[in-house]
Amino acid sequence: MEINVNTGILSANDRIAAENKEQFSGHGLLVINIMGSPGAGKTTVLEKTIDILAGSLKLAVIEGDIYTSKDARRIEKHGVPVKQINTGGACHLDAKMVAKALKDFDLDARQLLIIENVGNLVCPVEFNLGEDLKIAVLSITEGDDKPMKYPLLFRESQAVIINKVDLLDFTDVDMDSLKRDIRKINSNIEIFEVSARTGQGIGEWAAWLGQKVNEKKG
Amino acid sequence: MHEMALMAGVFEIISRYTADFPEKRVTKVTLVVGEMTNAVPEALEAAFEVYANSTNVEGAELVIKEIPLLARCTECGREGRIEKHMFVCPACSSLSMEIKSGRELYVDSLEVD
Ligand SMILES: Nc1nc2c(ncn2[C@@H]2O[C@H](COP(=O)(O)OP(=O)(O)OP(=O)(O)O)[C@@H](O)[C@H]2O)c(=O)[nH]1
Ligand SMILES: [Mg+2]
Ligand SMILES: [Zn+2]
Repeated sequence: MEINVNTGILSANDRIAAENKEQFSGHGLLVINIMGSPGAGKTTVLEKTIDILAGSLKLAVIEGDIYTSKDARRIEKHGVPVKQINTGGACHLDAKMVAKALKDFDLDARQLLIIENVGNLVCPVEFNLGEDLKIAVLSITEGDDKPMKYPLLFRESQAVIINKVDLLDFTDVDMDSLKRDIRKINSNIEIFEVSARTGQGIGEWAAWLGQKVNEKKG
Repeated sequence: MHEMALMAGVFEIISRYTADFPEKRVTKVTLVVGEMTNAVPEALEAAFEVYANSTNVEGAELVIKEIPLLARCTECGREGRIEKHMFVCPACSSLSMEIKSGRELYVDSLEVD
């Protein structure tokens, strides 16, 4: 006997993500999901972004990591409420993990929730968390072939932060061709060239993000 | 990789759809997987074996229907296959390409016996 199923493999996750999203919207909270390779500089970018935005916006952070809480401890030092999720081996966060972590925040008192996903260019992309924006972080030391090798992250993201531009002279990365490749995958994507080390470009990125928070608040 | 997590989803769906006939065995599972998903068929097959082991799905055939990545140019209307994930219209060079297929990821059907 054949049973017609026609059901999305990710539908259970998508359902919880939709509930998360509804909860975020109810609080007028903007939520971003930051993804990129291990070591791309997600936490460092985040630390610099917090230093710029924390004066004017009420932030909260969820840190995804397989086993440690190192990143959450780094964020804590910047005086922002932070919750660590340890996936215990899983290569991505899912909507249920985020739903559980949300219980530890007073969302009414927050305007921007930043979720740092597990360092991985592939797995997190398919798992919606209920976020408004997906943000890719790509460091130039990873090589300029990464968008073409891992296109889905770039197709699905609303912005990409090209990090570690302070190291440009030490790499063979052709910035113009890197940006061209990214635009061929996703012509609408915002591109920010930054150095989380020197702070270059972080202001433009933070201003764009602040603008998105204001649009969400309505 | 995350194919194990995807397969956990597949098996949740299988048990939901076979709950009414616990005495039956699943003999075939058909998945539909788009070209632009981060799901690798070989990894799905390996994960399937792991999850099927010692269940009523053990020994079932796994069929994976792969769907090509197709997009439509919003400028000139041309529709076609996207090569190497480059969303550039071959007719008018526009970068404004809408995905038509290739993002599918679902359980299509089951066969039980
Ligand atoms: N030169 C340079 N180094 C950077 C920059 N941003 C981050 N780093 C360094 O890169 C390393 C990794 O940075 P993290 O911020 O921990 O990277 P991550 O993406 O959060 O890593 P995971 O959470 O482990 O995936 C650290 O040693 C940072 O100091 C940058 O703009 N320039
Ligand atoms: Mg980190
Ligand atoms: Zn065209």
